[in-house]
Amino acid sequence: MATAIASSSSSLIFFSTSLSSYSLSPLQRISLSSTSHHSLSSSLSISPSFLALSAKSPRRAVSSFSPSFAVRAEKKNVLVVNTNSGGHAVIGFYFAKELLAAGHGVTILTVGEEGSDKMKKPPFNRFSEIVGAGGKTVWGEPADIGKVLEGATFDVVLDNNGKDLDTVRPVADWAKSSGVKQFLFISSAGIYKPTDEPPHVEGDTVKADAGHVGVEKYISETFGNWASFRPQYMIGSGNNKDCEEWFFDRIVRGRPVLIPGSGMQLTNIAHVRDLSSMLTLAVEKPEAASGNIFNCVSDRAVTLDGMAKLCAQAAGLPVEIVHYDPKAVGIDAKKAFPFRNMHFYAEPRAAKEILGWTGTTNLTVDLKERFDEYVKIGRDKKEIKFETDDKILAALKVPVAV
Amino acid sequence: MASMVVVQHKQPSSTILSSSLSDFNGARLTASVQYKRKVWQLKGALRVTASSSKKILIMGGTRFIGLFLSRLLVKEGHQVTLFTRGKAPIAQQLPGEPDSEFSDFASKILHLKGDRKDFDFVKSSLSAEGFDVVYDINGREADEVEPILDALPNLEQYIYCSSAGVYLKSDYLPHFETDAVDPKSRHKGKLETESLLASRDVNWTSIRPVYIYGPLNYNPVEEWFFHRLKAGRPIPIPNSGMQVTQLGHVKDLATAFIKVLGNEKASKEVFNISGEKYVTFDGLAKACAKAGGFPEPEIIHYNPKEFDFGKKKPFPFRDQHFFASVEKAKSVLGLKPEFDLVEGLTDSYNLDFGRGTFRKEADFSTDDIILGKSLVLQS
Repeated sequence: MATAIASSSSSLIFFSTSLSSYSLSPLQRISLSSTSHHSLSSSLSISPSFLALSAKSPRRAVSSFSPSFAVRAEKKNVLVVNTNSGGHAVIGFYFAKELLAAGHGVTILTVGEEGSDKMKKPPFNRFSEIVGAGGKTVWGEPADIGKVLEGATFDVVLDNNGKDLDTVRPVADWAKSSGVKQFLFISSAGIYKPTDEPPHVEGDTVKADAGHVGVEKYISETFGNWASFRPQYMIGSGNNKDCEEWFFDRIVRGRPVLIPGSGMQLTNIAHVRDLSSMLTLAVEKPEAASGNIFNCVSDRAVTLDGMAKLCAQAAGLPVEIVHYDPKAVGIDAKKAFPFRNMHFYAEPRAAKEILGWTGTTNLTVDLKERFDEYVKIGRDKKEIKFETDDKILAALKVPVAV
Repeated sequence: MASMVVVQHKQPSSTILSSSLSDFNGARLTASVQYKRKVWQLKGALRVTASSSKKILIMGGTRFIGLFLSRLLVKEGHQVTLFTRGKAPIAQQLPGEPDSEFSDFASKILHLKGDRKDFDFVKSSLSAEGFDVVYDINGREADEVEPILDALPNLEQYIYCSSAGVYLKSDYLPHFETDAVDPKSRHKGKLETESLLASRDVNWTSIRPVYIYGPLNYNPVEEWFFHRLKAGRPIPIPNSGMQVTQLGHVKDLATAFIKVLGNEKASKEVFNISGEKYVTFDGLAKACAKAGGFPEPEIIHYNPKEFDFGKKKPFPFRDQHFFASVEKAKSVLGLKPEFDLVEGLTDSYNLDFGRGTFRKEADFSTDDIILGKSLVLQS
């Protein structure tokens, strides 16, 4: 296992590969992060000065901005079990590419069939990038995982698919029996119980009946080395689910952005590269990561109004925000709006303290890149029907009886 | 195995300290002392290893933060002088402070009487005395700092109580120390002071608290809620009540001030200091109720634009999200707040409001406007 050695005159070792580059800005400095609460050894972590947060964003979708530091002794063979749809699909894609760039072996097992319609959407329609980087892509059902993988073994498994124990158990059981050393799970920050005291911090009460909770419990009992990652919302090229696009769709067409409630609700929207870098750090610092829960989110919260404004800024266009009360208008906010109508805000404190992770999401910069792609693929010209929006707007014109 | 269904906020990392802290958990204290020397010894990880005794000047120190800070410094063995106009006694016994401790403190604390706006006097008196470290707790304007720096060319450290109020309002939070500041804010004097310190050849540290609370608070933060809870009145909260703010206990703030003393890692650095968790306005009302043993409050939301309150403030907090990350202090200084919100409010209630003491009389006139009652002039 890789161990970092603390010394006063240390030399920095970076992974330099053909696919991504890391640069050490003069503002970065090394600080000893004490991880004594969770592991016996302290590890060196690089904490770029906070000023570096506003520095350039990666030019390529997948290049990782935060360097990971470790005396890397061995290459890992990593299996990613990936969902075939939804907001989390893109996590496996970035993670696979980052691992490959760092010199690890990667197989990505996508649920279902290679020929299915779902595979025509991003990130699946870009899997050639994984193969081109030396990774393997296979398809199948998690319940048959041993057969699907034809006896291949792995050091690390990331389950980025299951939301409940029934789905994850066969993967976990197979991993255990085939000698997998580290089991990682993509859970969800949605399992935290709502609180009056944000943010959600690792260790806070979760909803006992949530499927992911059952999984976390099972893997903690099954594996000596396990970790669970709780994400929120993501942006990034290759995303399978709309996020910022919802705002762009309205802004470019000069339509009002309809936000339920006050618009003050706080949420956390991360660039998926931040999630990928956190997962990669866990693979490269397995002792530190072991036995921990990590909120897999960006450093900052943004209000719903703020997100609308940032998207408009990125598009270089004005925005009209209209607030509405979903109940008064007779609409299910879940169907009308892509984010939760409440404070939903976790902070990545464990990752920072334990893994020495730093976030690089900067929505001001990242949304600009997203908007450029939005236009490039011609989505701004696409014809879209805004039936729910129109329904809400019509209802708002009617005076509400007090 | 990590515990996943833990109710408390404290991370497993505090297990080393939690058992020893349990005796000092503010919620369980009745008349016992808040900060015995023992506390600081047990919290070994938080203790500053400032080896030598220093000659320390506190600008102010008789009102709130300074009351707690001065005691900690005296206990650490430093020679502490308070620069004040002498309007308030230099040593006042704190609620819950044993007589022996108080008399020890009172016998050691020194006074330099003067008006800090009298720059000539400041310069001459300080240079005559000579001090190693200055804690500037009550400074508001940059020009107040210059004579101090001029008088003390060999000053080891200038520790300044600034404010998170300097941050530019943002939709993208929490505020980090590197975030944009607002040169037009009400706290611009604090900003100008920070800039002055940075421009001079002095070892400075700036602390930016958010909302401070705790026993003897002169700003009606918790007191505002306690008055209404005690009177059994509904709590009027502007707009949605989901605005997120942040409170920091005064004792944790005093600890932070101690932590930066003689600390290389604090040299020329700014630190946000406050509670680890934030809280919504509605949540704060409920937390105050819990702290004082009141039933869950009735909360009334209202649109402030629909009312004319004249010059009166209907609510003690800024009507916006306002919170700052304290992660820098945590990771660079190893600081972890002792109090969570309900514990801290309970500490404040038990030592102050709950004993019948408060700074401002209850004034429900703005509440009555909101509640639709006619404004009755107070007799």
